[in-house]
Amino acid sequence: MKLATLIRLMAVAGWLWPSAAAAQETTPPVILVSRQLAESEGLEVGSVIRLATDASGTRAREFRIGGIYEPTPDPARLGQVPRSVRLHLPELLEMTRPVGVPPGAEYIASVNVALVDPNDAPQFAKDVNARLPGVLARPSGEAAGSAGPFRVLERFHLAIAVVTIVAATVFLLALTIMLVDERRETVGVLRLIGLPVRRILAQILLEGLMVAGAGAVFGLVLAVLSEQLINQFFQWRYDTALVFVRVTRDVALTCVSIAVPLGASATVVASWALLRRGGLRLARR
Amino acid sequence: MTALGFAWRSLVRQPARAALGILGVAAVGALLFDMLMLSRGLIVSMQDLLDRGGWDVRVSAGDLPASGLRVSNALQTADAIATLPSVQAALVIRGASAEIDRASGMPLKAAFQGVATRSTDPAGSRLRAPWTILRGRDADAPDEVVIDERIASESRIEPGNAITMRASCVADLEALPATRLMVVGVAEFPFQTTNESTVGGTLDALKAACGGNVGQEADLILVTSKGDADGTAAAIRAQHPEVRAATNSQVVGRLQQTGFTYFRQISSVLTTVTVSFAVLLITVLLTVSVNQRLGEIAALRALGFSRMRVVKDVLSESALIVGIGGLLSLPLGLLLASGLDRILKGMPGIPVALHFFVFETGALGVHVALLVATAIIAALYPMRIVSRLPIAATLRDEVIG
Repeated sequence: MKLATLIRLMAVAGWLWPSAAAAQETTPPVILVSRQLAESEGLEVGSVIRLATDASGTRAREFRIGGIYEPTPDPARLGQVPRSVRLHLPELLEMTRPVGVPPGAEYIASVNVALVDPNDAPQFAKDVNARLPGVLARPSGEAAGSAGPFRVLERFHLAIAVVTIVAATVFLLALTIMLVDERRETVGVLRLIGLPVRRILAQILLEGLMVAGAGAVFGLVLAVLSEQLINQFFQWRYDTALVFVRVTRDVALTCVSIAVPLGASATVVASWALLRRGGLRLARR
Repeated sequence: MTALGFAWRSLVRQPARAALGILGVAAVGALLFDMLMLSRGLIVSMQDLLDRGGWDVRVSAGDLPASGLRVSNALQTADAIATLPSVQAALVIRGASAEIDRASGMPLKAAFQGVATRSTDPAGSRLRAPWTILRGRDADAPDEVVIDERIASESRIEPGNAITMRASCVADLEALPATRLMVVGVAEFPFQTTNESTVGGTLDALKAACGGNVGQEADLILVTSKGDADGTAAAIRAQHPEVRAATNSQVVGRLQQTGFTYFRQISSVLTTVTVSFAVLLITVLLTVSVNQRLGEIAALRALGFSRMRVVKDVLSESALIVGIGGLLSLPLGLLLASGLDRILKGMPGIPVALHFFVFETGALGVHVALLVATAIIAALYPMRIVSRLPIAATLRDEVIG
């Protein structure tokens, strides 16, 4: 099976300071520095820095900054400023290898494998687990256990949305009852000139649909505008490229499919009690 | 008749709309109350959880306890910490993952906490494990353990029974021989998460379960000071610069800056949205209500009601709707909070005893203040309408219309 192995390792710098030694006999290896670390320490591309794995600077090595990268946003590490560097695995192992451990016998945390056909992932993992005892291979879908908290947050937001909808429905009913009551005389006159209840109800329903539709569109526009504001605020607050709010087509459709029928139904329900009364009684002042 | 009594009669005259308005305020108020409880809930709950055990300084290798980093030479470090004059006792905690064999079915996965106390003070020498014994007694010998209620109920094990356990102290994939341990008690573990089972015992019991393959490291060292937690933490940092020593308040402060911040932010956003929503809707309700009663209000003015008096009537009506709705929102909010708390505790790694929504008198005070402000702000526009109402023109319009 043809496969390409991608190994990416991120090492958090335990010790880091610009090098005083400008002249080097050999060119230091190249590393990448996260934008946040570069900003906080004033590092630039081309700077030579020294990295060590402990605060005392034991076995420190010099590296040249080859680039500054934006770390992949990780929702599980929200609030933690990613002060990190990326270096080539052999250099990392050279720095972290315990005394007495021969090269090639070190531990690494994980190996990411890109398959020619991603659908082979379950079978590939099974083969690796069978052939290499002591190694645990999992398809990346299963390994993404960090999605758990976000599923819970999704349920939490859904529960809040339900409470908001209930509150909005109650208010809506109160408002429509008042608005319908305001038009009692008009409805009474329409009944007296011969319009059947069904005809008036259809008119009210259409009116409710139009008002609810306009309200839903206004709400969506407000949501799209606030989406930018909320994302910008939280991205600034947490110094991350994560997207917090996204008004997708599905979200918009769900909102409209709840708001429009709800608004129209509230109008009809509020009108129904009124329409059951006689035309004369309604028109009487 | 007072303005409040008059407003009450206005509401009672239209029971359906009044009831719906009050219910709407109750629902919005419940959400507002919950968001206020959420804003500090985790912090208060975590502080309570940390303080509950009586250990007031936490020594770890990382910035936060349970960061995954381990304190090296833990027993020697604890011995040295115990000699500090401000320290009463130090407790070394080492965790391992374990599997408990069952008579039938898959083995039960559990976390094993091994503890060892170090103290030079007679008051601190007695082992005070970070768990509470519910039944039986605490584990003292190397072949004794205490288990949590989940293991007891799922495996039907009670104090006096033996369990067969395979523990892995260094790596999850170790293939170690099984060890038989005696269950001497059932305990409640304060930081036990919703999706795990826990076994506790001495560090020697953990060593026995791991076949001696434990090393010199520990996950955490808990310290009880003789009263000055801040001074003790500083003394430990001076004695061991390689470790992080933090008081419970400092740990909560660090959590506040990282893990808990999302809930504070979401709470702030939702509080703002909820209050704005309530102000908007009550304003609309009152405005429509006042507009429907313009003739009535003009008649009252013509009969001698002062401008201030009709303004007070509108304000009282707003206060009644918001006040009654606000009162209803408290039990409704507590009920809703318990449901939302259950949802959020579904997150992996959340201790069972931790709560997202915690009642505080401060939160109640802010809730009342926000509702009072809502009642006043929502009544401003309708109050303006009635205060500027031209009496003669309105009465003429009413008669002609």
